[in-house]
Amino acid sequence: MTLSPNQAADTLQALAATERRSAHAYGYLQASPDLILWGVLWVVGYGLTDVWPRRAAAIWIAIITIGLIAGFLIEFRAARRIDAHTTAAAGSTRHDAAAHAHWMFSSIAMIASVFIAAALLVLAPVSGRQIGAFVPLVVAAGYALLGLWRGLRFIAVGAALAVLTLGGFFLLPRHFDLWMAAVGGGALVLGGLWLRRA
Amino acid sequence: LEQPDAVIHQPIRLKIMAALKALPRGERLEFVRLRAIVNATEGNLGAHITTLESAGYVQVAKDFNGKRPRTRVWLSEPGRRALAEYIAYLRAIVDADQERI
Repeated sequence: MTLSPNQAADTLQALAATERRSAHAYGYLQASPDLILWGVLWVVGYGLTDVWPRRAAAIWIAIITIGLIAGFLIEFRAARRIDAHTTAAAGSTRHDAAAHAHWMFSSIAMIASVFIAAALLVLAPVSGRQIGAFVPLVVAAGYALLGLWRGLRFIAVGAALAVLTLGGFFLLPRHFDLWMAAVGGGALVLGGLWLRRA
Repeated sequence: LEQPDAVIHQPIRLKIMAALKALPRGERLEFVRLRAIVNATEGNLGAHITTLESAGYVQVAKDFNGKRPRTRVWLSEPGRRALAEYIAYLRAIVDADQERI
């Protein structure tokens, strides 16, 4: 049972491909709840903004606060589950790299929020519609960038989100918030379900 | 070169090990997801997992997720070491060939 160099090289390639597929599937599964969460929040947030446009700031402060708290809870629960498995396997209490990775994703969400707030201060948009389009475009770019490392499905989600946002912004300016509630939020929920099935 | 580990050498079992290695330590992979990743039939995958479990390379937990039965698999520490040794074995073959060229 000796392998030729070609067989060994082919086996190494097959191993790397399987590891990559598995890592991507795992990343999709981890990201899925966040997408669904934010999809639902967008439906509520943009929907309420469409009804009460003058209260948009208060609505979105509440939506973002709820989203960040819920996101942290989702990540914290996942990290605790992994730590419990690791502790059971190792027979001692120790933190796992995955737990840190979950906190990293949450930290990225916080950094992105600060970046968006700073960008809005500098750019000083003149309409709520501009803000309503800018944030989803940043989120779309984030998913597309994530996809370069974590799998093509993230790129597809980012691209779909960007196209739908721009479509609503330019083609349906009067009903942009309603569009983003139904189509933007809906796309995020569907994207999350699609990632879960990967 | 030494002989490769016969348990891991089988292609489907090697894929199972690689798929599990990609997970963070402490994380478990559901049977249905593993089946999609390694592209194996249910019976085939089950038989190979049993072989790997008997060798001590993977661990299996069966429980219920709500009312749905669930089987989850993860790589044991001996399994992780065995896979690392197998990969080193493959690299040694490739490197030896490249040195000869």
